Amino acid sequence: MSGSLQTLRQQAWQAFEEKGLPTTRDEDWKYTDLSRIQTLLGEQWWQPAGTGAVAIDMVELPGLDAWRMVFNNGYFDPARSELPPGVTITSLASLMQDEPAKVVDLLAYQPDAPLSSGLTAANSALAADGACICIPANTRLDQPLYLLHLNSGGTAHLRTGIELGPHAELEVIEHFHGQHSEAGLTNSVTAIRLAAGARCTHYRLQLEAAKQCHSGRVEVSQKADSSYQLHAVELGGMLSRCDVISRLDERGASCELGGLFVATGRQHIDHHTRIEHNAPYCSSRESYRSVLDGRSHGVFNGKIVVAKGAIKTDSAQNNANLLLSPDAAVDTKPELEIYHDDVKCAHGVTVGQLDKNQLFYLKSRGIAEEEAKQLLTVAFADEQLARMNNHSIRRFIERAAFAKLPSITDLEGMLV
Amino acid sequence: MMIKIENLHASVDGKEILKGINLTIGAGEVHAIMGPNGSGKSTLSNIIAGRDGYTVTSGSITYKGKNLLEMSPEQRSWEGIFLAFQYPVEIPGVNNTYLLKAGVNARRKHHGEQELDAMEFLQLVREKAKLVELDPSFLSRGVNEGFSGGEKKRNEIFQMAVLEPSLALLDETDSGLDIDALRIVAGGVNKLRSSDRSIVMVTHYQRLLDYIVPDVVHVLADGKILKTGGKELALELEERGYDWVRQEAAA
Repeated sequence: MSGSLQTLRQQAWQAFEEKGLPTTRDEDWKYTDLSRIQTLLGEQWWQPAGTGAVAIDMVELPGLDAWRMVFNNGYFDPARSELPPGVTITSLASLMQDEPAKVVDLLAYQPDAPLSSGLTAANSALAADGACICIPANTRLDQPLYLLHLNSGGTAHLRTGIELGPHAELEVIEHFHGQHSEAGLTNSVTAIRLAAGARCTHYRLQLEAAKQCHSGRVEVSQKADSSYQLHAVELGGMLSRCDVISRLDERGASCELGGLFVATGRQHIDHHTRIEHNAPYCSSRESYRSVLDGRSHGVFNGKIVVAKGAIKTDSAQNNANLLLSPDAAVDTKPELEIYHDDVKCAHGVTVGQLDKNQLFYLKSRGIAEEEAKQLLTVAFADEQLARMNNHSIRRFIERAAFAKLPSITDLEGMLV
Repeated sequence: MMIKIENLHASVDGKEILKGINLTIGAGEVHAIMGPNGSGKSTLSNIIAGRDGYTVTSGSITYKGKNLLEMSPEQRSWEGIFLAFQYPVEIPGVNNTYLLKAGVNARRKHHGEQELDAMEFLQLVREKAKLVELDPSFLSRGVNEGFSGGEKKRNEIFQMAVLEPSLALLDETDSGLDIDALRIVAGGVNKLRSSDRSIVMVTHYQRLLDYIVPDVVHVLADGKILKTGGKELALELEERGYDWVRQEAAA
C-alpha cells in the first residue's frame, strides 16, 4: 500500500471513530434511526464479513444482455464476471494493488462534502473492493454494464468509480441483492464523473434481504452539456438510506433523477437528494414516487441549490406518495436554496390514498374492488417506471415490485 | 320491466336531494330525464350506478326483479347497468383495452361463461370501435389519458358498446361535444338501441334528443319528477323553460 493511500485510510478511520454513526439529532438524519444497525450487527457492525455463499442463478435479470461484474459480499468475483475488451474496467482491489496512486482520489474522504457522515468515512477507511470504470472519449459500450452486488449477510463496504470521457456514453446497472436470512449491511459509495457531452444512464436497484440494511451514496459531477439519468428503485432491506448528490458544474449540463420506493411491513426507506446548479443553462428534473403499505416509512428530501450566476436554471421536482395502509407514513420535504434571480424551480408534493373517482370508474366497468385497487396501485408505480428505456430491467422491477403487493391476479395483462 | 324506482328519497351530506322519485322503465325503452341544474338528475344516475356518498333514506329500486340498492357497483355492472360519466375519469397507466377486457371477463365469469381470450377480445373491440369511429390507437392508451372532451365522451359510448348493458345511463353525454362529435356519438347510441336494452339520457339540453329520439321524457326538478310526456315535451321545455312545469305541479 502506498504511503498516501495508507494515510488516507488512517485519516478516514480517525474521522469515523470521531463521528460514529449519525444520530436522529442530526437534521439530515432526523427520520432515519441508524441505531438499528448496531442492534442488528453488534458493536463491531462495521467489520467486513468477507465472501459468503451466494447463488447467482437465482438473481440474474432475465433477458438482459450486458457486460457484468459480480461482487460477493463486497469482493469482486472474476469467475462470474464478463468484461468488454478495449475499455478500462477493473476492480478496485486490483487497482489498489497495481496502481495505488490512482485510487487515492476515488477513495478520499471529504468531511465537508454535502451529506457526508460517519458511514462515508467508514467506507473510505474500509472499502476493499468495487468497480473502477473508465470509458474513453467518444466511446460507447455495445451493451450496458451490469454490476451485481450479492449480499449473503454481514457487512460489505463498496466503492465504485465511473469516469466518462468527453462524449462517452454508458448505461450502468447497480443491483444490490440480498440473499439468506442473516443480518447484513451494504455500505456503498459510487462516484461518477462526466466529461463534456458525456451521457450516463444509471439504474440503481436495491433488493436487499429482509434483515439487511443498506446505505448508498451516489455523487455525480458533470461538465458542460453532459447528461445524467438516475432510476433508483428501492424494494428490499429493512432500513435503506441513499444520498444522491448531483453537481451541474458547467454550462448546459442536465440531470434527471427518478425514484420509486415500494415498501411493506416495517421497512424504512430514505432518499436525500441534492442537486447543485453551479453554472448557467443547466436543467434538472426530479420525480420520486412511493407506494407504502403496512407500517412502512418513506422519507424524501429533495434539495435544489442554485448558485449565484446560474442564469437560465430550469429545475422541476415532484414527489408523489401513495399510502395503502393507515399505519404507513411518509416524511417529504422539498428544499430550495436559490442565490440567483430569474430561475425556474417548480416543485410539488402529494401524499394520499387511491383516488375515489378512479376507483368508482373501474368498478362501474365491472372490475371488483380489490382488483381495481391493485390496478390503480400498479398504474401509479408503473408511471414512474415508464421512463425506463431498458425493457428487461423495467419488467424485472415490475415483477419484483408488484410481487410485494397483495396478490395480483393478472399482472402480465396489466402491464402496458 | 327493466327498472322500477319507487318513492326514492336520497340525501348528500344530510341535505335531501331526491324527494320521492317514481319511475318505471320498460325493456327497450329510451327515456330522457330533463331538468334545470341542481335538480337531482346526476344524483339519480349516480345512485343507480352505485356511487358512494349518497344516502338513500327511503324508497326502493328494483332492477330486473332484484333489489338494486343491495348490490356493489361492480355487481351492478355484471348485471348489465352502465353509466356513461358526465366527467369521464383519466386513469394514466391503466390501459383502455385492459380495463375493458377485465370488465367483460369479470362479468362473463359472474354469469358462468367462458372468459374471452386475447384474440377474441381484440376482435370484439376493433369491431365496436368502428361504431363510434374511435381511432384504434386510443385502445392502447391510458384510460382517457390526454383525451379531448369529445374523445372522452366517444370513449364512454365505445365502452358501452363493448360492455353491452341492459340499462345504460347517459349522464350529460352531449355536454362538451361539437355538432360533428354529437352526430357520431348519437349515431353510436342509436346503433345500440335494441328491444332488450333500455337507455336513460340525463340531459340539460334538448339538442341531444334531436339525434336520439326518446320514447318518454320526464321533467325532474326540486328532487321530484314533475311531469312526464312524449318527445314533444322536450321541445316545449326548450321553448318555455322549466318554470311553467313547476307552477303546473304546484297548482
